[in-house]
Amino acid sequence: MESYFTVMFAFFFLPVTMLVYQLFPVKKRWVVLLVASLIFFWSISGGLILFVILSGFMIHYFGLWMENIDLQCSSHKEAQKKKRSVLVFAICVHIGILVLCKYTGFLLGNINSLFVWLNIPILIQVPKIGLPIGISFYSLQAVSYCVDVYRQKIKADHNPLRLLLFLVFFPTIMEGPICRYEQTAYSLWEGKSISYGSLTFGTQRILWGVFKKLVIADRLNPMVNELFTNYQNYSGGMVCIAMVTYTLQLYMDFSGTMDVVIGTAEIFGVHLPENFRQPFFSKSIAEFWQRWHITLGTWFKDYVFYPVSMSKMAKKITRKTKKKLGYYYAPLVAGSIALFAVWICNGLWHGSGWHFIFFGLYHFFFILMGNLMLPLLRKYHLQFNHGFLRYLAMIRTTILVCIGELIFRADGLRIALAMIKKMFVDFQFESLNAQMLSTLHIDMQDILLVCVSVLIVFVISVCKEKNVQIRKKVASGPIVLRWTLYYTLIFAVILFGAYGTGYVPVDPMYASY
Amino acid sequence: METIIEILQEIQPDLDCTREDLIDGHLLDSLAILSLVAELEDAFDLMIPAVEITPDNFNSVKRMKAMVDRLLEEE
Repeated sequence: MESYFTVMFAFFFLPVTMLVYQLFPVKKRWVVLLVASLIFFWSISGGLILFVILSGFMIHYFGLWMENIDLQCSSHKEAQKKKRSVLVFAICVHIGILVLCKYTGFLLGNINSLFVWLNIPILIQVPKIGLPIGISFYSLQAVSYCVDVYRQKIKADHNPLRLLLFLVFFPTIMEGPICRYEQTAYSLWEGKSISYGSLTFGTQRILWGVFKKLVIADRLNPMVNELFTNYQNYSGGMVCIAMVTYTLQLYMDFSGTMDVVIGTAEIFGVHLPENFRQPFFSKSIAEFWQRWHITLGTWFKDYVFYPVSMSKMAKKITRKTKKKLGYYYAPLVAGSIALFAVWICNGLWHGSGWHFIFFGLYHFFFILMGNLMLPLLRKYHLQFNHGFLRYLAMIRTTILVCIGELIFRADGLRIALAMIKKMFVDFQFESLNAQMLSTLHIDMQDILLVCVSVLIVFVISVCKEKNVQIRKKVASGPIVLRWTLYYTLIFAVILFGAYGTGYVPVDPMYASY
Repeated sequence: METIIEILQEIQPDLDCTREDLIDGHLLDSLAILSLVAELEDAFDLMIPAVEITPDNFNSVKRMKAMVDRLLEEE
């Protein structure tokens, strides 16, 4: 069982979990979810399950430790000081394990390169360290739990197994969304019965996600692989197509997986936060990151941006610069330092490589530019909120995002820059004849199918942007219309999904983080 | 409440201070919040920790006043 898009998951694991869950007493249903989640985790990462189990017990212990300090200390200030040491230790342990698993190779590789450059005859052997599934996701959840207990936003949980379920819940373990304890934990333990409503709504959402992943994203995968691997053999125009196609593939893959994840949780009465809000309708890079991978953005905002920008040092800078720089630019100094920290972390979170750091700094640059330009744009009423300027801003933002995704996907920074250079220096297109299409592992039917499917997704996105409650409208519509739509979607996946003979299964793209 | 409204209008003159979704509606961004926090701390002589930056506390002028009153009481 490698992901949510396998026959084993869809036709065995999920139905059996649902059945056992429903048969269990309400108060013990969370145990079913925990056991199912541990089985799911073990089926993908085997013995590395010890990492997440250790994490669950550690945050349980750290939470109780901080709670005890609160009970024992007579003053709030004294308690905060002692708890801060525990919190720092907890964060170091979790981030340390993440760094060890994910970045050891990158760090040692760079040290070895430095030794070569300095003519030092030392070569450090890079150990092979296994990467537990979802470590980048559950580590952030673990840190947020510890910080929220420290801030007394939540009470420490006295049940380590319930905490473990919060970390390892099988719909969220592979690709998030990154949940907050206060928002999600209680619904995990409520043991709500699977009702007709939760089953149908959840299944609809799953079906929609499967459509986006199997019909669109996975169909584009072979072409994207070919163009990125052999970009030297193609013109700049084809590199541009690779860039746009990859961005489309990534969005359909990730948002499709989120639909499956949220739909699956919905069946069990667990409501997860949304991770996407029509990101390609953004008018700026800053807005894009409020609409794309929302839970990661809010995590960085709450646990990196605000702590850094509201530190004593940062407030001092803001106060000192207020007279010279004014109300807007004064906080921008501290804010920019905090933003820099966020984007370095964001880039590194996505992967261990210099092009990931560059990816983070690329977005930092455009957000910073946007912030610097805003007063000027406001002065000349050029805020791109209405009419033609609004669409121009969306197109501009999409182009910038696509270039960022090219950097993200390329096999290293040098290749990314070479590809970008090619787009500008050699902007022409090859003839898309039968031979070319065959080399790109795609045919005219695939192109037509993708275009029609993307158009459907676009129409749904426009409706959602206008706050049209599509699922409620469909659910309240005539039964014939409802079931026509459902069967159309089911048959679209069966007939047009990129699976089976001739296709290589594509794991969810964010599952390797 | 007037002090808070004056501060908001200094920071963002075109802001509609009667709205009750200043954060959820993305009318106040992160940088505006930083400026606002610094001004509220100076105006009311208090400390606003990062944990207080939530939509509950900043979505409307009324909620900001409630937060300020609570923090003053705690001090």
